[in-house]
Amino acid sequence: MNPTLLEGAAAPKSTAVPDPVITVEDLGVTAGSQILLRGVNVRVPDRALSAVIGPSGCGKTTFLRCLNRMVELTPELRRTGSVRYRGEDIYAPDIDPARVRRRIGMVFQRSTVFPTSIFENVAFGLRLEPDATMDIGARVEASLRRAGLWSEIRDDLDRPALSLSGGQQQRLCIARALAVEPRVLLLDEPTSSLDPVGTRKVEEMLSALRNEIAIVLVSHNIAQAARISDRTLFFYEGRLIEEGPTPQLFESPRERLTEEYITGRFG
Amino acid sequence: MSEESLRAKSGRSARRRAWDRWMGRLLPFSFAIAILPILDMIYWIGARALPTLTWTTLTTDPTGLSGGLYGPLVGTLDILALSTAISTVLGVAGAAWVAEFAGPRWADVCRTGANLLAGVPSIVVGYFGYFALVLYFGWGPSLLSGSVTLAIFLVPYIFRATDLAISGIPRDLREAALGLGASRGQYLTRVGLPVALPRILNSILLAASIGIGETAPLLYTAFFNNYPPTGLTSKTGYLTGLIWNYYDEPAHFGTEVTLAFQAAFLLLLIVIGLNVLVRVVSRRYERRLRGLFA
Repeated sequence: MNPTLLEGAAAPKSTAVPDPVITVEDLGVTAGSQILLRGVNVRVPDRALSAVIGPSGCGKTTFLRCLNRMVELTPELRRTGSVRYRGEDIYAPDIDPARVRRRIGMVFQRSTVFPTSIFENVAFGLRLEPDATMDIGARVEASLRRAGLWSEIRDDLDRPALSLSGGQQQRLCIARALAVEPRVLLLDEPTSSLDPVGTRKVEEMLSALRNEIAIVLVSHNIAQAARISDRTLFFYEGRLIEEGPTPQLFESPRERLTEEYITGRFG
Repeated sequence: MSEESLRAKSGRSARRRAWDRWMGRLLPFSFAIAILPILDMIYWIGARALPTLTWTTLTTDPTGLSGGLYGPLVGTLDILALSTAISTVLGVAGAAWVAEFAGPRWADVCRTGANLLAGVPSIVVGYFGYFALVLYFGWGPSLLSGSVTLAIFLVPYIFRATDLAISGIPRDLREAALGLGASRGQYLTRVGLPVALPRILNSILLAASIGIGETAPLLYTAFFNNYPPTGLTSKTGYLTGLIWNYYDEPAHFGTEVTLAFQAAFLLLLIVIGLNVLVRVVSRRYERRLRGLFA
């Protein structure tokens, strides 16, 4: 297929992102006869936070999981279309999915700490590709600082990670994902099981991070998307209905569906 | 509408609560029915084994009509160690492959195979070991033939428990590891197996205590003599074999029947010891994993 043709086709929808870190073209996902995603074209900007919103079952999570090949861990799903990271097709046959996921990290809805110490949780990704020159202790500390957790647990690094509170566990998962220094961080409703204090801390952390790396945040919470994102993507029934800079999308949405969703008429 | 009283109404609900109370009182009896035969058996064996059980019993070989239990005791521990080691390697490696790497069809084949193997009577496994190992491979009746045969019998126990333990790990945890750039092998060695470890250890110790009581897989493969093994290819004694050979000897001849009871008593002690070990070990690990499966 002619790449320039494809670029041209995708251009009208996403002209506002000149130098995307991830480019999604004509992405579709099916599970048997059920269509989960179709015809999705997105350009994910670098050093910005993109929020993905939409009602339950609209394909937000499936979309997110396509961006670092996590979608392949569900064998029933079939994917079509392309996802490129800095121009490189991440689904090409010679690409190692493990390497993709080190560049494009992921944090899940439920905190998923490993049953080891706090320190070992953060060091997990660093130990996968041993590097004698790396100071693991320093990297762990830096990651915990970036996740805003350092001051709370600096004296407890050897404690079991499972003994932390829910909000702390989630921030530990973010620190763990940051430790391998990904260029993109995908978050799937990271605050949905947290209390308001935990939610606020995660949001503060994401606001600080969004100037450093690309963040894609799936959120069930429209207010959260409006608060902390630079761009917003609205999905409905497996399709990307509208995307644009967050203030524009919330103040003057082009599509009627978007307006109805953000004003709470459904969803 | 007037508010209904919280007090229980007479009739049906009162009858239910009375029934509940009586059933609660009956439950300890069903426990007693299960536990009494075991206590009786321990007493029955202990009463015949203990009066003449001395240190010498444990340090001398059986000699025809009397003697001690040294050879068979050492043989039993050797067989136990070898067969548990072999079945652990096969069972854990096989289950790890099935749970993480095998496609659904191969996984199905392996799981069905393991279930079939678990249903094969131990004497049939023993016969297979006799033809395959003792005769065809030419290992002769030996410690090695016996241990490998017993290991084949024990593999399904470890395989099934390990498979369940790994497959039962929360999906989130697997995705978290893979999401950090771990390969499947790294996921298994760094997260999967450590999380499954308490249940795997449990199954190994369970297999060991099943194995220690088995006689049939060994009768044709290790044969039986009165002495400890001198090497992998030597015949060996073992406690269950001694019981099988001695328990129906005339009671007024020497001390053979007593030796059989003493062998049974030692087996009981070892099995109880293994069970205590299971509890101590799994409790220690479960404390570490608390909160993970919530």
